[in-house]
Amino acid sequence: MKVLELKSVVIALKNIKEKFRSWQAIFFGMGFPIMFTIIFYLMFHDVDPETGIDVYSYSIPGMITYAVCLGTTSAAIVFTRDKSTGILERLDTMPTGRKNIFLGTLISESIFLTFQIIVMFILSYAILGQYFVGYFELLIGFLVSLLFGILSVGIGIIIASFSKNEEAASGIALTFVMPVIFASGAMVPFESQIVYFMPPYWAKQIFLQFTVLGDGLTSNLYSSSMIGYTATETSIPIWGGILILIAMTFLFIFIGIKLFQKKTKL
Amino acid sequence: MGCKKKISICIEIQNLVKNFKDVKAVNGISLNIKEGELFGLLGPNGAGKTTLIRMLTTTLTPSSGDAKINKFSIKTQKNEIVKLIGVCPQDNIFYNELTAEENVIFVAQMHGIPLQESKERTNAMLQKLGIAGKKRWAKKFSGGMKKRLNLVMSLIHEPKILFLDEPTAGLDPQARRIVWDFIRELKGKGNTILLLTHDMLEADALSDHIAIIDNGEIIANGTPAELKDEHGGENVLEISFYKEADVAIMKNQLKEISFVQNWKEFGERTLLIPFRGGMKNYLKILQKMSEKIIDVENMKFRQNSLEDVFLNLTGRRLRD
Ligand SMILES: Nc1ncnc2c1ncn2[C@@H]1O[C@H](COP(=O)(O)OP(=O)(O)O)[C@@H](O)[C@H]1O
Ligand SMILES: [Mg+2]
Repeated sequence: MKVLELKSVVIALKNIKEKFRSWQAIFFGMGFPIMFTIIFYLMFHDVDPETGIDVYSYSIPGMITYAVCLGTTSAAIVFTRDKSTGILERLDTMPTGRKNIFLGTLISESIFLTFQIIVMFILSYAILGQYFVGYFELLIGFLVSLLFGILSVGIGIIIASFSKNEEAASGIALTFVMPVIFASGAMVPFESQIVYFMPPYWAKQIFLQFTVLGDGLTSNLYSSSMIGYTATETSIPIWGGILILIAMTFLFIFIGIKLFQKKTKL
Repeated sequence: MGCKKKISICIEIQNLVKNFKDVKAVNGISLNIKEGELFGLLGPNGAGKTTLIRMLTTTLTPSSGDAKINKFSIKTQKNEIVKLIGVCPQDNIFYNELTAEENVIFVAQMHGIPLQESKERTNAMLQKLGIAGKKRWAKKFSGGMKKRLNLVMSLIHEPKILFLDEPTAGLDPQARRIVWDFIRELKGKGNTILLLTHDMLEADALSDHIAIIDNGEIIANGTPAELKDEHGGENVLEISFYKEADVAIMKNQLKEISFVQNWKEFGERTLLIPFRGGMKNYLKILQKMSEKIIDVENMKFRQNSLEDVFLNLTGRRLRD
C-alpha cells in the first residue's frame, strides 16, 4: 500500500486540510509569538559594541519555545472537537483504529509545529537579524523545539481528556500555557528552582546553549552546567537536559493517550 | 464478509441492558435478526433505540447481556465487527470544513478502500442521492443534504450489515422518498438492515419484521401484518348505499361472513362494518357485496395501523 494511503497519513492530511481552512485559528496561533517577538525586539534590542551581538539574541530561544507551546492549545482543540462532535464515536464504528488517530494527529501537529518554527526562524534570524552560532546548531535548535512541541501536544491531549467543548479546551490550554511559560523563565527571567519542573525551561535552555552560548558540539553536550543568560544555573550537563526533555515528552504523550482513551470509553 | 450462508441469524441480541445512573435506557432486550432481513425497530423518542444501536455497533459498553453480530461478540470482538457493519448515526456527524466528497472519500479510506476506487464510488453514490458536485463545505449544506451525506458515509464501503438510526427524520417528503427507495435497493441486494425509527409509516413501508420498543423493552414483535392483526384492533369499512333496501340486503350478506361479528347503522343508508384481519378480508366483504349489489354511493375504509398497535399496547400515542 502506498504511504499516502496509510490510515494515519490519510488522517494527518485531513487534519492539515481542515487546519488551513480555518485560517483564523492559524492566525491567532501564530499571531501572539510573532507579535511578542517584534514588540520585545523594539523594546530590548541593543547591540553590544564589544562583540557586535544583539543582546536580544539571548531571548529568541525563549520566544520560539513560547510559540511551540501553542501546540498544547492546538492539540487540545483538535482532540476535544473530535470527542464533542461525535466524530470519534463514528470513527470507532469503522476499522479506523485509535492508534491511527493518535499517530495521524501527531504527524499533522508536528507539521504545523514545523511550519510555526520555520516562521519564527525566518522572523528572528532572516528579518530581525539575530545572532546564532551556525546552521548545524540551528538544526539542533529546530529539533529540540519540535521535540518540545510534541511534549506540548501530549499536554494538549491531557487537557482534551477533561474538556467538554472546544471553548473550554482552548480556555484551559491558554490558562495553563501562560503561567507555565512564566514559571519556566523562558520568556522573562525567573530565578527559582521551580524552573526545573517546567518543560519549557529545558527546551529553551538547550536551544540557547547550542545556538547562542555554545562553542562546538562536545563543549555543548558535556559542559557541566546549563548556564543561561538570566536563568538559574544547574549542575546537570546539557545531555542530561536533553534526556530529561525526551523522557518528559514520552511521559506526557503516554499519559495523554492513556487518559484520553479512558475518558472516551463509553 | 457479511453473514455466512448457513447461518440464518445475523444479529443475536441476548438480554442486553444499559443503565445510565438510575435511567434504564435499555432494559433486557433479546432479539434475533435474520440475514437479509430489514428489521424495523419502532418506538417513541427516548425509548432506548439509539442506546441499543450504540451497544450493537461497539461504541457503548453494555451494563449486562451480550449480542453477537455474525457470531462475533460485541464485547470481545469489536475489531471483527467494525469490519462488517455500516452505521448511520441519528445526528449528522461529519467534518464541517470538508466537502461532501472529501468526507465520504475519507471514510472510504478508513475502510481500506484504495483512493482511486474511493473516488469513483463516492461520485456514484453522491450522484444517486442527489448531492454530487457540491464544492461547498458540509457545514453550509441544507438540513436535507446533511442528512443524506450522513447516510452515504455509512454505506460507501458496501457493508453487508447496516444500522440506520432515524435516517429520514426531518427530511421533506420528496427527499424521504429518495431515501426510502435507496433503502429498498440496499435490501434488494441481500443486506441485513436494522432500521430505527419513531415513524410508523416508515417502519410499515420498509420493514419485513418489526419490533416495538418502549421504555427500553420490546413490547411486540412480528411482521407488520401480524402486529396489526394481533394488536391493531379493527379495520372499519363505511358504506353509503343509494337505496334503503340495499342496507338490508347487505346485512344478510354479512351474516355469511365469519370474521364480521357486528355492524352499526348510521343514518338511513350507511353501514359501519368493523372487521379484523388484513386486506384479503376487506376484499372478501367487497366480493360478498358485489354478488347482490351493483353500485353504492360512497365507501370509506380506515385500515388499522402500527399507530393503533402502539396505542393499544401502551395507551399512548407514538408521537407523544
Ligand atoms: N449518555 C446518556 N446519559 C444519560 N442518559 C441517557 C444517555 N443517553 C441516553 N439516555 C437516556 O436513555 C433513554 C433512551 O434514550 P435513547 O436511546 O436516545 O432513545 P431513542 O433513541 O429511542 O430516542 C432516554 O431516557 C435518554 O434520556
Ligand atoms: Mg434516538
